[in-house]
Amino acid sequence: MTATTESPPVPATDARPPRPRPNWLLWTGIAVAVLITLWAGRAIEFTLEPLIYDIDRGRPVLRGFLDPDWDFLQRVIDPFLETFAIAIIASLVGCSIALVMALLASRVSAPNHATYWITKQTLSVIRSLPDVAYGMLFVAAVGTGALAGILALIFFNLGIAAKLTSETVDAIDPGPVEAADAVGAGVIERARVAIVPQVLPNYISYCLYVFELNIRASVIIGLVGGGGIGSVISVELARFNYDNLSAVIFALFVVVFVLDWFSRTMRRRLV
Amino acid sequence: MTLTQSPAGESEQQARPEPPSKWPKTFSMLAMLGLVLLAIWVADAPWMRVFEIPEKAQQYGGLMADGVLRNPTVEPYDSYWSRSFELMVESLQIAWIGTAIGALFSFPIAFFAASNIAPAPVTFVARQFLNIIRAIPEIILAIAVMLPIFGLGPLAGALAIGVHSIGTLGKLTSEAIEGVAPGPGEAVRATGGSQLETIRWAVIPQVLPETVAFWLYRFEVNIRASAILGVLGAGGIGSLLSQLFRHREWERIGIALVVIIVVTIIVDQMSASVRRRIIHGGGTHSATAEAIVE
Amino acid sequence: MVQAEASSDQTIRFRDVSVVYPNGVRGLDHVDLEIPPGQFVVVVGLSGAGKSTLVRAINGLVPVTHGSLTVGDRELVGARRRELRRLRSDIGMVFQSFNLVTRTSVLNNVLTGRLHDTPLWRSLLGWYRAEDKELAFQALERVGIVEKAYMRASQLSGGQQQRVAIARVLAQEPQVVLADEPVASLDPPTANLVMRDLQRINQELGITTVVNLHFLDLARRYGARIIGMRAGNVVFDGTADEADDKVFEDIYGRSLTAEDVLPESVKVEPLGRAGSA
Repeated sequence: MTATTESPPVPATDARPPRPRPNWLLWTGIAVAVLITLWAGRAIEFTLEPLIYDIDRGRPVLRGFLDPDWDFLQRVIDPFLETFAIAIIASLVGCSIALVMALLASRVSAPNHATYWITKQTLSVIRSLPDVAYGMLFVAAVGTGALAGILALIFFNLGIAAKLTSETVDAIDPGPVEAADAVGAGVIERARVAIVPQVLPNYISYCLYVFELNIRASVIIGLVGGGGIGSVISVELARFNYDNLSAVIFALFVVVFVLDWFSRTMRRRLV
Repeated sequence: MTLTQSPAGESEQQARPEPPSKWPKTFSMLAMLGLVLLAIWVADAPWMRVFEIPEKAQQYGGLMADGVLRNPTVEPYDSYWSRSFELMVESLQIAWIGTAIGALFSFPIAFFAASNIAPAPVTFVARQFLNIIRAIPEIILAIAVMLPIFGLGPLAGALAIGVHSIGTLGKLTSEAIEGVAPGPGEAVRATGGSQLETIRWAVIPQVLPETVAFWLYRFEVNIRASAILGVLGAGGIGSLLSQLFRHREWERIGIALVVIIVVTIIVDQMSASVRRRIIHGGGTHSATAEAIVE
Repeated sequence: MVQAEASSDQTIRFRDVSVVYPNGVRGLDHVDLEIPPGQFVVVVGLSGAGKSTLVRAINGLVPVTHGSLTVGDRELVGARRRELRRLRSDIGMVFQSFNLVTRTSVLNNVLTGRLHDTPLWRSLLGWYRAEDKELAFQALERVGIVEKAYMRASQLSGGQQQRVAIARVLAQEPQVVLADEPVASLDPPTANLVMRDLQRINQELGITTVVNLHFLDLARRYGARIIGMRAGNVVFDGTADEADDKVFEDIYGRSLTAEDVLPESVKVEPLGRAGSA
């Protein structure tokens, strides 16, 4: 840089801050992550060799898949209806309970600290079990079929919807809640009048989301005996009828796709 | 109450407005009710069995509690607990590898799918690719592709989860990239930087905290997915559960469930606090990211 | 619902009241005060001086940590939840940010003023009694916006929303009205209209009104009695005439600035001003 007037170099003074130390936390974190990956990879015997050597094993499966037996679809309509019915009932019940629990699990709306804490811990536990576990539990309790599926999904829905809704409740405008207090409203009235109206659109969008998840979950729920389309998949899988299976899966795709689009449009209009 | 004139000085009598029509609301309520009744009829479930639940709950619950409360240092409970832990750890490993695969591949693909980085035809292809693999539930992927090729075992599960995660993470990351402030990118370009340098210096620093938060959240979700795939034979705690339920070994079931609950809660908490640290500690605050952090 | 005689003893008495916040800040410092029924009191002071604390202590939104605060014969300090709720149903409050439920109709917002008298099942379903709806409509008529009854609250302007808030208070049929910076978010003409509404309610219904303001000209214009707060203490207690600029400077502990008066302050009532309230 040649300037017309020469400027003397600026001497390095003590005003320059010392170079910050490297962020040890970050680098340790990254190192830990890499180590875990290597350890986990070893443990599950990660290898891509089968892609090269065993790809033939996949051939009959793939062949069956690429040649779906469309006639099979007729037998699939009833199970699909059952899946929908299961999803509707489970979403309704699960989300209704979830609304109440969400109100109890948020500091804003909980009547006291004990209720808040207990509900939060309970929800934590409910959410930690995967839907399969609930499926298997209820099949053991009430036998295979739609009832087990409904009950299992109720718990599954409860956990998810309650968590999402309680987070929305945490973020509401406290003003109307204060106004309800100032009017002398009790805890329930306060929730009904000042809190629920604020979270309603979000809550309904969560219910739609949960409904969609139920349809996707129907595969595994059916696999463990909860009825619906999953049990058809389970049967065809066991019989190695890959052509039937692929027809069913294709139909499932279409249903999920349409539902996903529908649900997203509705949710956008709500929020 | 005898307040006189209103302040705006309106001396004419104010007409009370007509209440809005109740029909739309009533109609939709009735439609919903109809839908629910239809669903109940279609499901044709043996509702009465619900009443058997309290009794069964006591019975099985008792057995499960027995299993959990027995001295865990004594045989055979000792081996029950360790077996459950082993397999739960395997599920964690499956989820971790699956998430790692997802993260590794989704990151570059996300750039190809971001409309502010790549040209339209490229983003179209990339986005459709992501949509397709996103749409395939891990279960189907496992059944159709992974299990036949890789056989039973954790590897199949990890790969199924991995491929699906590429789809979901790819979409989230590309949305994050598109949401980046354009300013820093312009600044880099103004100094003469290339597209790659712009990405490296202007986009990645903004997007990284959010993206890592997505990865961690995905990890939590994948833990549950790995348990599910386990039921199909893809290793992990799911395979143990399915075996135990088949043989109705309630004591061991209780132990396995407790292990699942405790480990899942711990991992969720850890992941949540790391995510919180990442998002609030530095980098951009975006609405999506804040939505994922508790 | 018969409006109880406002002149029944609903005196507000502060006896050696202190409010210490959890973080140690003293909101009120050994305050002794008596507000007879039907008085229009304006509380002034800098932010953090305690004026908001004073007003909010009266309906228990801010808990009193020491002393005795009574409204009529009801003691606030140590009141159980139920008593507190009953007391609050007799005290209406107007907030700076209106605090309306924006997603629902104006009418529903005003009806929340009737909650104290509505059985739980009715409030859950939103099926208020006809008499309660009638009261709500009357309240809206009193503030002059009944035609907006079924509109969503978010569609109204700031001034209109505050009038809905006042209607909500009227629907409560309260003995006392509290207002915490009711006009701070409003433009000058609207601010005057709202203060005039509060003044009319006070004069025509005889309801004790305690208003918290930081606009000194409004304080002088509308307040029958002015209480000046500083650092949690009452440093002035007198009529509007007695409160001149010097007094305010003492209360504030600094000389007055342009922010202490309403912008474009008018000396007379705003006639023909384009007030869109």
